[in-house]
Amino acid sequence: MSIKVKNLSYVYSPKTPYEHKALEGITFTIEEGETVGIIGSTGSGKSTLVQHFNALIKLQEGELMVNGFDLAAKKINYKALRRDIGMLFQYPEYQLFEDTVAKDVAFGPKNFGFKKEEIDFLVKEALTLVGLDYDEVKDKSPFELSGGEKRRVAIAGVIASRPKVLVLDEPTAGLDPVGKREILELIHNLKNTYVKTVIMISHNMDEIAEFTDRVIVLNERYLIHSTTPEKLFSDQNSLNGTGLRYPHVVRIQNLLKEKGVDIELEKMTVDSLIDEIENKILK
Amino acid sequence: MARDLTLGQYYPVESFVHKLDPRIKFIIMTVYIVGVFLVKHIYGFAVVAAFAILSTLISRVPILSVLKSLKGIIFIVIFTAVLNVFFHTEGKVYFTIGKLLITEGGVFFALKMALRLILLVLGTTLLTYTTTPMALTDGLERLMTPLTWIKIPVHDIAIIMSISLRFIPILMEEVQKIMKAQRARGAEFDRGGLVKRAKALLPILIPLFISAFRRADELALALDARCYNATPNRTRYKKLKMHYRDFIAFLAGAAYIVLIVAVNNKFWIPTLTYSFPFI
Repeated sequence: MSIKVKNLSYVYSPKTPYEHKALEGITFTIEEGETVGIIGSTGSGKSTLVQHFNALIKLQEGELMVNGFDLAAKKINYKALRRDIGMLFQYPEYQLFEDTVAKDVAFGPKNFGFKKEEIDFLVKEALTLVGLDYDEVKDKSPFELSGGEKRRVAIAGVIASRPKVLVLDEPTAGLDPVGKREILELIHNLKNTYVKTVIMISHNMDEIAEFTDRVIVLNERYLIHSTTPEKLFSDQNSLNGTGLRYPHVVRIQNLLKEKGVDIELEKMTVDSLIDEIENKILK
Repeated sequence: MARDLTLGQYYPVESFVHKLDPRIKFIIMTVYIVGVFLVKHIYGFAVVAAFAILSTLISRVPILSVLKSLKGIIFIVIFTAVLNVFFHTEGKVYFTIGKLLITEGGVFFALKMALRLILLVLGTTLLTYTTTPMALTDGLERLMTPLTWIKIPVHDIAIIMSISLRFIPILMEEVQKIMKAQRARGAEFDRGGLVKRAKALLPILIPLFISAFRRADELALALDARCYNATPNRTRYKKLKMHYRDFIAFLAGAAYIVLIVAVNNKFWIPTLTYSFPFI
């Protein structure tokens, strides 16, 4: 079970004056169990690419296999595909609509044909997993909740259908630093326990460096890198022309190097950086 | 994506028609519509159609995309045509279905109504295809200025118009986004009977309304923050100016209406009388 993309191209509004090439000749593979980050500046085609995975955007050109579904085929079982590939959009709290939190979370499982008892169980499980108190929030209106809580409810609404792959489009956008951290840790925990594969679009390189096993870099509709964050960010020229910046830890590491302090990072996290600096100083 | 929306959208090419002053375009449009309702004979319709086709050709908008706008009204056209066939009884009788008569006069009348509707939509579509929403409201505001004398808040009307026009694509995009999000959660919008489909709209409509109200709130604040209406007489950054080409277009409009009146009154084509008695 994996995602295989081969020579995928996509054009918006073809043959009109608004024609716009969004993706061209994209080829890569995502194996089951990976956490993959997709980065690129605005308009580089990230969202268009991931929306291919659950057929929200129809494949125009190229080959695409997702969890055994051939998306170039004439007939696709959309329900089965979309149950397998959970997708969380940007600002997902704006898609909440039911009068209670529990009903909203149940929307997905209900559409995917789970049984009544199963749904009750899944809703409870999903809400607990995202760190909300089921009994407290289940009868509340989603609109009474705070921004961070709303986003948790939206995430619960996606994972309640038990997807195998979770695709997240900028899951932390618009949250405060603490909220960001909490959501990221939540995704990390889900990855270890609940979903098998996580694909995450982000503009925040720190998040990418810390939480992903592999990074796919898109630049003006082309794929320019598909490698580990360590390799990507240790190469000083890898992001040239993309408008993307390096993670803070790497930038600090590079500044220290300029001043003659050479440190090696074990992991691309702030903790690891602090440890290394302490080691250097205390030595 | 809202990019996929084509109905009545601005078509960005450079042409004589695109460059015309929006006020002139409005005036010509009015004249055109008056013409559409004034014509009596088939030759008159030919004049109107020729005017529409010629304008489209000059505007360099592909005729096919203008014709696409007819898709939306095809039902109304057929409906009015069918109704008119039965309600007008005059002249030779072709068929009788029970008490309903299909007559020569009825058929011609229905044809005329259908033609009128089609020509009407073609002309107005050309206006929105060749004029940006901003230019449209600017032109309308200038044309309505005399109404300020009788205390009609023309400027506010124009602002309301331009805001609503501006928000159509934004809301369309919002709808697309919400639909995608709900589809990802297994929602289906094109399956089942009428009731099921109507129910399926709820997960789109509720988030859409909430977001529309949120946007309205934010916009009101933004207008306030920039002191909207603090000064009674706002000056303009881009002033509308008439050019030589606007005069030419004006003459074309005048020629059009004169021609229609002439054809209607059979001024110089005496042979007209013999052809079709009801057209």
